[in-house]
Amino acid sequence: MPNAGEFRNNVATWWGLLFAIVALGCNGVFFLNLPFQGAVAWLSLLFAIVALTLLATGLRLAIVYPKIYRRRALTVLVTTIAIIPAGLSVLGFVATRKLPSATAAPQVGQKVPDFTLADTSGKPVSLDQLLSASSAVSPGEPSFESRAPKAVLLIFYRGYW
Amino acid sequence: MEKRLAEFEAAGVRPVAISVDAPDVSRNLANKSGYTFPILSDPDATVIRRYHILHTAGAPDEHDIARPAEFLVDSSKIVRWCNFTEDIRVRARADEMLAAAQQLR
Repeated sequence: MPNAGEFRNNVATWWGLLFAIVALGCNGVFFLNLPFQGAVAWLSLLFAIVALTLLATGLRLAIVYPKIYRRRALTVLVTTIAIIPAGLSVLGFVATRKLPSATAAPQVGQKVPDFTLADTSGKPVSLDQLLSASSAVSPGEPSFESRAPKAVLLIFYRGYW
Repeated sequence: MEKRLAEFEAAGVRPVAISVDAPDVSRNLANKSGYTFPILSDPDATVIRRYHILHTAGAPDEHDIARPAEFLVDSSKIVRWCNFTEDIRVRARADEMLAAAQQLR
């Protein structure tokens, strides 16, 4: 309980703002495709939760002890601004993990289904062709002309838009 | 990926990208980004469905797309390594895919 007549800066609010900015800034790390990026997703969420907790604390102090934590308008303003990056970080975490499970997908040791799909020139290409020596699979692909690849790496991606 | 292509080729592994994008969309992507590995088009997500990695209404315009998934498939069509991210921000890294490719014998 702060003493009457004492004035304090609302430190919690400012720390909240800082954590909120760092939480959102974490998303920049994903563009670098670094080894520890899986942990960064959780770190971003953690920072956002810390930020929201600090902001709530700051706001509570400003409301409960208006005589000690003055400049309430500033606290409210900073809190409002900081909630945006903190909230976006939490929403981002939830939204980017909304993925269906892949438990029914072929796992290590299992056989994958065959397929034939069009390449960028519209020409059909089969899995068998991809696994055999063929230079015509892709125009710019020089290797595997005379020797078959040991394996193909199938990279399913969300698409380009 | 493209930067490490020579290393994949040295490991005897042919990277192939697959999405629901039409061939001309993938061609634009390949031209723009300088990709030379094959990019295949599965516009109706038939193969994506067959691999059980469909993300229903996963695209911003609610199109069905593939959830990100990578399979290293040997000449007997057996999966030797696979990866399914739980977060679309956390993309598969060329490093880890290359490490899996180099472990093949």
